Amino acid sequence: MIYTLTLTLAQRPEVLERVLRVVRHRGFKVTGMNMQLEDSKTASLDMSVESERAVELLTNQLEKLIDVIHCQALTLEPVKADKVAS
Amino acid sequence: MKQGQMMRGADAVIKVLAAHGVTNIFGYPGGAIMPIYDALYGAPVEHLLSRHEQGAAFAAVGYARASGKTGVCFATSGPGATNLVTSLADALLDSVPLVAITGQVSTAVIGTDAFQEIDVLGLSLSCTKHSFMVTEMDELIPTLYKAFEVAASGRPGPVLVDIPKDIQIGMLEYKTPLQERISEPEVDGEKIDAALSLLKQAKQPMLYVGGGVGMASAVDQLREFIDATGVPSVATLKGLGSIANDSPGYLGMLGMHGSKAANIAVQECDLLIVVGARFDDRVTGRLASFAEHAKVIHLDIDAAELGKLRLPDVAIAGDLRQILPALCTPIEIAPWQDEVAQLKREHCWSYDRPGELIFAPAMLNRLADKLPDDSVVCCDVGQHQMWVAQHMWFRKPEDHLSSAGLGTMGFGLPAAIGAKVSRPDATVVAVSGDGSFMMNVQELTTIKRRKLPVKILLIDNQKLGMVKQWQQLFFEERYSETDLSDNPDFVTMASAFDIPGRTITTTDEVEAALDHLVNCEGPYLLHVRIDDAHNVWPLVPPGASNRDMMEEMDKST
Repeated sequence: MIYTLTLTLAQRPEVLERVLRVVRHRGFKVTGMNMQLEDSKTASLDMSVESERAVELLTNQLEKLIDVIHCQALTLEPVKADKVAS
Repeated sequence: MKQGQMMRGADAVIKVLAAHGVTNIFGYPGGAIMPIYDALYGAPVEHLLSRHEQGAAFAAVGYARASGKTGVCFATSGPGATNLVTSLADALLDSVPLVAITGQVSTAVIGTDAFQEIDVLGLSLSCTKHSFMVTEMDELIPTLYKAFEVAASGRPGPVLVDIPKDIQIGMLEYKTPLQERISEPEVDGEKIDAALSLLKQAKQPMLYVGGGVGMASAVDQLREFIDATGVPSVATLKGLGSIANDSPGYLGMLGMHGSKAANIAVQECDLLIVVGARFDDRVTGRLASFAEHAKVIHLDIDAAELGKLRLPDVAIAGDLRQILPALCTPIEIAPWQDEVAQLKREHCWSYDRPGELIFAPAMLNRLADKLPDDSVVCCDVGQHQMWVAQHMWFRKPEDHLSSAGLGTMGFGLPAAIGAKVSRPDATVVAVSGDGSFMMNVQELTTIKRRKLPVKILLIDNQKLGMVKQWQQLFFEERYSETDLSDNPDFVTMASAFDIPGRTITTTDEVEAALDHLVNCEGPYLLHVRIDDAHNVWPLVPPGASNRDMMEEMDKST
């Protein structure tokens, strides 16, 4: 399944590493991402991830990160990976 | 605290620790943390010098787990910090509040592969709850305050603060920061009603209690819940001590080396009430068949544990001290209570063994009975750890320190040192195996230095016993690298650290030797040789259902 996530992050030098580490370790593959610095304190991150696991297993872990201010899975109904590819 | 005083960053570190009530620090100095050690010199905080940073951090873990306070450890950059990693991982998996402070090379040379430079922040990402590197003077004090808040709030865990040397020697104005409290989730009343409804419908409920109860200081609320409902109970390795040992319907530990009664009762229950536990694989056996006919109520402070491995029927994230009292309701389950009592009688432990050789489970059972009310038992990892969990009993969870999640050999001795520092009046016993003991044996020097009266019970089968057991059962008796018959003479070794001791080998020596171990003044090592044919029973084989436990098949030599 492909899921789309949108996150608001505290602007720390290591915050992207933190998020990506959790994504990998919890069994998800990044298929696309875009990060923008918002203001002096926050950054926004849009990310597509792929996994056979339920997206809540990832979002629950991301929400625990101190520097993740907001985390939402936009794709509520998961889309089959092959449909996205075609 | 005097506001506005100018001081070095290093002095501010020590002041922040004092402001958090820190009285004991465990650590090891080195180049990049020298300013902090300089600030420590003469400060009214006690530092215990370990002989390896892993030992320092495990002592801080033992200190925290035995007392409920946040443990603090120091290490220098590079190898000092890398040596902390195992202990941080241990604290992460067992949710132990810990603040680790590491020195770092100066900000100007970070990223140049300077002497003793390693990317500690990068290293910390997978083994801490959170971590910081301080790069601005004005961030130092607020960062340290936040570290203490993060470590102890919600589901506790280790927090690392990496402080470059120039930040330690730079000057700042000491100001107490405004503290941001991390809010806890509010308990949802509708979910409480849903849980009460399931509880009232249940005919065969079981309570599955984990380490979260002790860490939430919810032991009293848990016991009141048990008294009010009469629900029979089991505990995880970290949950031991939460439930009174003589509580009716308490069946001991469940899981891979749990009691048969505990595993059968959980498999047969129609409602599983999971309190501060997380469906660990060593608890569930084959997950798909774990309590497969049961509905599940899952209570935990960490919302990410709810539904992670088993979908609950009712899940409540929050403070167990609020949730458990709301669920106290009498329920009619007398036939089930009788059935559980019958299971307990049928599958009680047997300590009768023929022959003169010492049977470790029987010895540990006797030790539990001999320990005074205020006592702490620290374990290492392996067969002895499971025997302690099965055959000893504990008054509260803080009395049993065992590396549960990470399963770290070498935990026991330094954890016992930390426990003795935090609870100086308690009798502290480190129960170890001959494999584990050698993993942090350098900490005997720490005992010698402080003349700490830590008691060591070293159970020696001259094997890496748990691995040997699996080789015997699941690898066709191909004993690859598990023979430890070239162990040192442990009693002679202890005497080199001014720790007296003796070796016993036969059953008739056990009683007097245990009495001396518990009652003598000062540290002591009791070295106990046991039969290497004894394994840990019963056992759920890997991948099997908890219903399919292997029974004892030892042939004593």
